[in-house]
Amino acid sequence: MQLTYLEAIRQGIWEEMEHDPTVFCLGEDIGIYGGAFKVTDGFIDRFGTERVIDTPIAESAIVGAAFGASLTGMRPVAEFQFMDFIGCAFNQISNMVAKTHYLWGAPAPLVLRGPSGGYVHGGPFHSQNPEMWFVHNPGLKVICPATPYDAKGLIKAAIRDNNPCIFFEHKYLYRRIKEEVPQNDYVVPIGKARVAREGTDISVITYAAMVHIALEAAAILAKEGIEIEILDLRSLVPIDREAIAQTVKKTNKVIVLHEHSRTGGLAGEIAAIINEEAFDDLDGPIVRIAGLDSAIPFSPPQEHHYLPKLEDLVRESRRLKAY
Amino acid sequence: MGNNKRKSKASSNGRNSRNGSRSTAARVGAHASSAPERSSSKNGGSQQNLRTYNIPDYRLEHPQFEIRQLTGKDKQGQEHVLYEVSGDLDAPVPPIRDSKYLDQQQAIEIYRYMLLNRKMEIALENLYKQGKVVGGVYFGLGQEACSCASAYALDKDDWFAPMIRNQGSLLVRGFRASDTMMQYMAKADSPTKGRDGTSHFGDIEKRNMVSPISMLGDLIPVMSGVALGARLQGRNIAVMTYIGDGGQSTGVTYEGINFAAVQNLGLVLIVESNLWAYSTPSNMQYRCKDLAERAIGYGIPGVIVDGTDACQVYDATHEAVERARRGQGPTLIEAKMMRMKGHAIHDAASYVPKSMFDFWKKRDPLTRFENYLVKEKKWLSQKDNQALIAEVEIVIEAEREVAVNSPMPTPESAEGGVFCENGCHEIKPKYGIPKVKKGTAAYKETEAAVHLK
Ligand SMILES: Cc1ncc(C[n+]2csc(CCOP(=O)(O)OP(=O)(O)O)c2C)c(N)n1
Ligand SMILES: [Mg+2]
Repeated sequence: MQLTYLEAIRQGIWEEMEHDPTVFCLGEDIGIYGGAFKVTDGFIDRFGTERVIDTPIAESAIVGAAFGASLTGMRPVAEFQFMDFIGCAFNQISNMVAKTHYLWGAPAPLVLRGPSGGYVHGGPFHSQNPEMWFVHNPGLKVICPATPYDAKGLIKAAIRDNNPCIFFEHKYLYRRIKEEVPQNDYVVPIGKARVAREGTDISVITYAAMVHIALEAAAILAKEGIEIEILDLRSLVPIDREAIAQTVKKTNKVIVLHEHSRTGGLAGEIAAIINEEAFDDLDGPIVRIAGLDSAIPFSPPQEHHYLPKLEDLVRESRRLKAY
Repeated sequence: MGNNKRKSKASSNGRNSRNGSRSTAARVGAHASSAPERSSSKNGGSQQNLRTYNIPDYRLEHPQFEIRQLTGKDKQGQEHVLYEVSGDLDAPVPPIRDSKYLDQQQAIEIYRYMLLNRKMEIALENLYKQGKVVGGVYFGLGQEACSCASAYALDKDDWFAPMIRNQGSLLVRGFRASDTMMQYMAKADSPTKGRDGTSHFGDIEKRNMVSPISMLGDLIPVMSGVALGARLQGRNIAVMTYIGDGGQSTGVTYEGINFAAVQNLGLVLIVESNLWAYSTPSNMQYRCKDLAERAIGYGIPGVIVDGTDACQVYDATHEAVERARRGQGPTLIEAKMMRMKGHAIHDAASYVPKSMFDFWKKRDPLTRFENYLVKEKKWLSQKDNQALIAEVEIVIEAEREVAVNSPMPTPESAEGGVFCENGCHEIKPKYGIPKVKKGTAAYKETEAAVHLK
């Protein structure tokens, strides 16, 4: 069945709620309204008011309550209306949830999910990509799918995982992409990257919405005889070091592409991993394409300037190919 | 010392009520231990929208102090800002209020836990002085009744989470004194195997305890979530935690209580109103007269107890726990008392006016309860009391021995355990598989989003 990215996530949660009575949802406006983006539309009719809980606007309480319920063996799925608001619950996530298993051996099987990302003119408080706040926070799994197939398989895997998972849904992709998604039960393993396109000249290591920019660039570059390989990380924690090393060993040239700000961003970490795993295989500098080191601005021309673009990737690929 | 022969009929179980309404109009008292009453009659007179609330106050005295920052001069003529207290600091010590619920044996058991609490902390202080403690030591001196009697009101299936001064609650819930001692000494056999100190540990299997974190207030929504999880599994349980007069200023405290209130979850929140938060007096934390008044804003019952009176603490907690188990939602209990040491062992609390310590020293919860049991009620003979104290000392010494002899953890034991993996835990609902009712609505694709296309 052809499903949008949003529908795939929705189906994934729905299926888990159908077969596991310990799964329940909580968040702001997720009940009768079905969530700001309608991910839980119709859930309250099917699963009832006990399992689809409209909460006060209180992000720390949402995370705290999800965590508390997880300690009793439930599998809560908490929605952030926008992932930008996850900062309001930062302490609860970072100091309470993430450290629990390491410090006192209690598993916390919960999912924190919501829309993130730019390209929709959401402005500085509705377009952020806050995933790095949590990558640098041992104890959390960080998941960022790029396709409907992965989104469904990964949300199901996250709900079944015994650890706290933060699931970033790229809101630009919600209803823009569609693909065939199996109707049978499947999961995509957390921590495994995927080669989204095979290539021989340059590895573009990326995830989420940027995978689609990379695919567009690949089509343009292919006409010039530049074959890029696209590695879709899918999970940032755990990160697939092996897949990163493998693609570098194959192409010997690397561009890391991400939407969030450059400084302290994922590209720095990936460059370090390449240093550790495949330094001798490099035939050129590791190139970073990333968001600017500023807040993400509102006005379309400014937002466009802030975010990585197709032209950036095409230009940098040509430069690196010639290096 | 102890209970001056009664002035009032204090041991009757009547209670004072303080009306929390700020309105100058007529006041109507609602009943204790029920949700605040809201009156909104259509055809009433001018008072039709008057809201009245009632904060039951179980105390037998109502000490009122004012603490101010004043500039004074030292002997050299140098100016310093210090705290000055005013109020009736010579008031006589009230009696212990008879419990409505505790029998002789239970009262003695609570007393024994309070003794254990006190003696364990003395042992901790000595371990610190011997250089065996890593970091500081926190004390619950003067708050033993609050910790022990509140924890005693819980059942096995209920949950709780301690804060730093509730080392006594841990003993009541079945943890050993050596557990806490080993935490302080960062030993390999400590509940967190050296990874954290103090009362920062938990146990979700046997003792239903959530580990605190240092950040004040975050446990409140977490405990609410525990109650939510249990309710989804068909059980109304009580979930108890504590917060200080300082810690309650955090925003997450509001979020957590409010969440419990709207979801009607069995949160029992003990506000340890001990007049100080580190070096800051409580009147610099909040403006209302009593923190129990906060309950009005949440739409939940709030009560005030004398935190140095084990019977009052027990009774109020017991009633809150019963409400929780009946599915009637959260209760806020303000326990008024005094932090009788500095913030932690490094802090001599020289900023606290000495007369405050003197006032509260006369209200030492342990001495008063001992006096009550031995002299007032004659539930415990002098001889049995001496035997009990000796027994507790032997227990603490044995626990100290166990703790001291535990090795330090290996450096490598810092590694691992960040994630729950390779089947290290099995997740299963604690109180049984939730019974789910499903609606007839089938899965249907959604309409396009309205928010940011
Ligand atoms: C959110 C937060 N801010 C600051 C601190 C540092 N801190 C630890 S205890 C404390 C004072 C707490 O006072 P109170 O809540 O009244 O508890 P008490 O020590 O009196 O029992 C402070 C400021 C903290 N633990 N958490
Ligand atoms: Mg205090």
